[in-house]
Amino acid sequence: MLDLFILIIRYISLALITLGGFASVVAAIGFYRFKNFYLRLHPLTINTIWGCVFPLTGISLLTIILEELGAYKWFMAGASFITALIVLMLAPAGSHAIARGVHKSRTARVKPCIADLLDKDLCG
Amino acid sequence: MRRITELAVIISLILGVSVLLVLAASILIPGVEVRQLAFFYLYTTINPWFQNYTVNSPEAVTAIVWDYRGLDTLFETSVFYLALIAGLALARGLFSETLQGSFNEKTSGLSTIVKTVTRVTAPMIIAVGASIGLHGHLTPGGGFQGGATIAVIPLVFIVVYSAFFLIARGVTSNKMLVLRSIGLLGIGFISIATFLIGLAIGRFAYVFQNMPKPGAIVGLPADINGALISGTLWFFNLFEMIAVAAGFTIAFIILLLAGRGGSGGR
Repeated sequence: MLDLFILIIRYISLALITLGGFASVVAAIGFYRFKNFYLRLHPLTINTIWGCVFPLTGISLLTIILEELGAYKWFMAGASFITALIVLMLAPAGSHAIARGVHKSRTARVKPCIADLLDKDLCG
Repeated sequence: MRRITELAVIISLILGVSVLLVLAASILIPGVEVRQLAFFYLYTTINPWFQNYTVNSPEAVTAIVWDYRGLDTLFETSVFYLALIAGLALARGLFSETLQGSFNEKTSGLSTIVKTVTRVTAPMIIAVGASIGLHGHLTPGGGFQGGATIAVIPLVFIVVYSAFFLIARGVTSNKMLVLRSIGLLGIGFISIATFLIGLAIGRFAYVFQNMPKPGAIVGLPADINGALISGTLWFFNLFEMIAVAAGFTIAFIILLLAGRGGSGGR
């Protein structure tokens, strides 16, 4: 029963790490393909949440079931989990602050534009 | 033409440094004596069977910085302190820390989302900084690194709230200077602590002595109730952390207030 549980945890954590790698590639393509600054913030957050928080959670789970690491597995698991939590909290606030600052200082235009309800002059 | 000149300068720099490195590697091979020195440091940094020479700190870098070459570090700290004093003296009268006009905490600074996240993460930054600083004799890190980490908090608060938010909370450059002086005085006191103990009990002791040495058996305790503090190293890290955190805070306040074009005294 315990073996099955460990196996499930192992597959879940490996899936999370793989998902992180995949998300990083997707985010890199997004950086290249998206047309303006505000759209490019979207792959930025994909990279921080999907590409950073999920793999870190996966590493945390994986190290808990890795007996080879000895007592150090708890250090690694704890550090990874705390880092994931901090990134989960800081990354959205950071990208929000960037977007708000750039829009308020009118540095980047919204182009191509469908609607910009906050500042019509920045549209197009 | 300008691009070609730049390219020529870069290429000649790279070639020059490469030639220097090749020459240095073929001529300047460290002698056997130098290797003995490294061996001595690593052998004595924590060695319970070599009591009269050990520093009792598993972190060799901190042991070297605050024990083997502690006097050097003391002067480095003093130079940083004097540089800040000079900066403060130069900038006096250029800006004032008293608020001219009205300052509304609600309307100034970034949005509520950023402010809330900053409030939540600030205690974590202090915890990380204190951990880096106070475990400096056990793990990589030390007073300077811990203090620099803690100094991130005033910087983040200045950016997210405003410099006047800090000043309204009482974090002024004068108070930080007092804190910095306390840190430096603490470092100065710890550097002669063993000497003073030796003077008090009538035994021979060196200035900047940490553990007992041959001929000078006075020393600070290596651990308190089983928790390793490595004698003076823990205290040095503590005071250096206070001094550096306060020093960087002064620098940030000066730079960011002066960057606003000054709010008075123009």
